[in-house]
Amino acid sequence: MIQLSDVNKAFRVKDRKTRAWKRIEAVKSLSFQVRAGEIYGLLGPNGAGKSTTLRMIVGLMKPDSGSIRICDLDTQEKPEPCRSLVGYLSTDISVYTRFTPRELLRIFGEFQGLDPRVAERRGMGLLEKLQLKDFADIRMEGFSSGQKQKVSIARALLHDPVAVIFDEPTTGLDVFTAKTVLDLLRILKSEGRAVIVSTHLMPMVEEICDRVGIIFGGELHGDAPPAEMLERWKVHSLEEVFFKLAVP
Amino acid sequence: MKGTLLICKKEFLELSKDRRTLFFSFVLPILLYPVVFFIMASLGRNDQTQREGQPSRVQIVDPSQIVEPWLKSDPKLFECSDGRPANLQQAFKDHTLDLAIEVEASAGARVKRQEPYRIRVWLDESEPASELALQRMRDAVKELDKRQVSERLGALGASLQIIEPSRILTENVADPGLALGKLLGSFLPYILMLMMFQGAMQHGIYVTAGEKERGTLQSLLATSLPRSQIIWGKLIYIFCMGLIAAVLNLLSMGISLGLVLGRVAEHPAGSAGLASAHLAAMTSPVNLLICFLLFVPLGLLFTSFILFMGIRAKTTAEAGTSLMPGLFLIITLGAFSMAPGIERMPLLPYVPVLNVSLAIRKLFGQQSSFFEILIAFFMTAGLAILMTWIATRLLDRESAIFKQG
Ligand SMILES: Nc1ncnc2c1ncn2[C@@H]1O[C@H](COP(=O)(O)OP(=O)(O)OP(=O)(O)O)[C@@H](O)[C@H]1O
Ligand SMILES: [Mg+2]
Repeated sequence: MIQLSDVNKAFRVKDRKTRAWKRIEAVKSLSFQVRAGEIYGLLGPNGAGKSTTLRMIVGLMKPDSGSIRICDLDTQEKPEPCRSLVGYLSTDISVYTRFTPRELLRIFGEFQGLDPRVAERRGMGLLEKLQLKDFADIRMEGFSSGQKQKVSIARALLHDPVAVIFDEPTTGLDVFTAKTVLDLLRILKSEGRAVIVSTHLMPMVEEICDRVGIIFGGELHGDAPPAEMLERWKVHSLEEVFFKLAVP
Repeated sequence: MKGTLLICKKEFLELSKDRRTLFFSFVLPILLYPVVFFIMASLGRNDQTQREGQPSRVQIVDPSQIVEPWLKSDPKLFECSDGRPANLQQAFKDHTLDLAIEVEASAGARVKRQEPYRIRVWLDESEPASELALQRMRDAVKELDKRQVSERLGALGASLQIIEPSRILTENVADPGLALGKLLGSFLPYILMLMMFQGAMQHGIYVTAGEKERGTLQSLLATSLPRSQIIWGKLIYIFCMGLIAAVLNLLSMGISLGLVLGRVAEHPAGSAGLASAHLAAMTSPVNLLICFLLFVPLGLLFTSFILFMGIRAKTTAEAGTSLMPGLFLIITLGAFSMAPGIERMPLLPYVPVLNVSLAIRKLFGQQSSFFEILIAFFMTAGLAILMTWIATRLLDRESAIFKQG
């Protein structure tokens, strides 16, 4: 369903002190694939390149080399059809605060080519699953970050995408809300969607992911089911893999 | 195309949710002009008309009573008093006196002998009221002299015409409406441009750098809408806001001007009736249409510039500061285009932005040249298309989407 082959991405940043340009290799020859009905956990410490990878899949960034295919469509050749297959949740929890969730979902439904009434109905269904229905007609100005996150999740899933890309969906959420989100991810999986979540929360990965890819310094270190990963690195928890990678 | 309209709709919807912004963008400009115009008109009228409607306070010493009775015969112009104040200068400053006159004591005898007599006058030239009093006195004495000359000529059996071999008849053909048109034409395009730019700028920043700053841009770009349609939607929205700002200002300005002119017309002296008739002729549908046609590419140029800067900027504050030079340029060019005589400089029709205000200025002054209007139109349109193209390309660059990098 989602296929990355030999993807590279580097950034040029300026060192303000030495005034020299530096090259940051955010992603280095990354290859993996995620099948339908599978939750793939992209695991890595801060600055590992998780968000960059996900942004490239969604088409917000372009890879320097390599290819990304969604349902056998190349994201660079057919950006719009690819984006319509993907539901993306970004890390920064931000919504159009002047709207109510209902208004936001209606208009985003239209952006995705849905009939506004269909969009509204589907959006309300999602809000119900996320336990936010009572807030459907309240302006989002005063929403807590968890409430905003729920609205963003509903927005991402509105158009029934076959691929779901969530960048740290549970960061900043309390245990109840986090559980709601994880349950939703399981439902999405059972509906036959390909799901990629990035995180640095190990327990979550061990609980819901079918396979994990550990990304460190832009490179993928292993791509296997969590249990197999523990075995391969001869550790008891995935956290220990991080420490092993950090001290080679 | 559909995406463009959807984005535009979203922006307008978002705007409609913010009452305060709506008030400041749409209601305030409508309220502002009548107030400003009214204050300006009444201030301008007050000073001069009030002075002219009042008699000049004159203090006169005239022992032989030649001039004094003559001045006193017209109480509308002169309010005479005897005796000399202790401090003349202070009296002028305190506005208790406008003019002090002293007619020489032997004036009566001199008149009989047909010799000139002297009148000494003290005034404060820095006081307009004092100047006016002098002018009035000169006119009065001239009239008095004329009477005396006429009497003397009569005694000799000749008429007054003997000293007036010729007579000059002047007729002012300057058309009061045209003068007003020229005045309006010189500052109207400037005000409109400024209003258009600042209206577009304020809302343009909100939907570009603002979206980036608030973190909502990514969710928009992750939808299946093509980037070009997102950009065009925003472009049309900003353009509309600029145009709405210009039209609102124009309307409000027109209505307030009409009100002020109406008030002036109530005073019989004003040729305002004629002026407003000419104003109506000047603002003929054809002229207004040409104005509008010139403003469309200009609006597009402003819009694409704002869009470009707005997307390029990382924050709204940065967008604001990077657009300031643009605003400053318009203010400078506008002020330049208002300068008298500027329309005769040969190269100006080729300076962008300036040529539009120049063309409109000439249009209102009824000196327009079709060729210059065409140059202004095509030059602005060309620049606008180029700028739009650059701006639309920008959103495809990821450095424009993400704050860092
Ligand atoms: N737009 C950009 N410009 C410059 N450098 C960038 C940009 N985006 C990411 N980077 C760099 O690329 C590297 C990977 O960043 P990325 O955001 O993918 O990390 P991450 O794994 O998501 O980290 P975190 O867990 O903190 O979110 C970092 O070193 C970051 O500084
Ligand atoms: Mg990240």
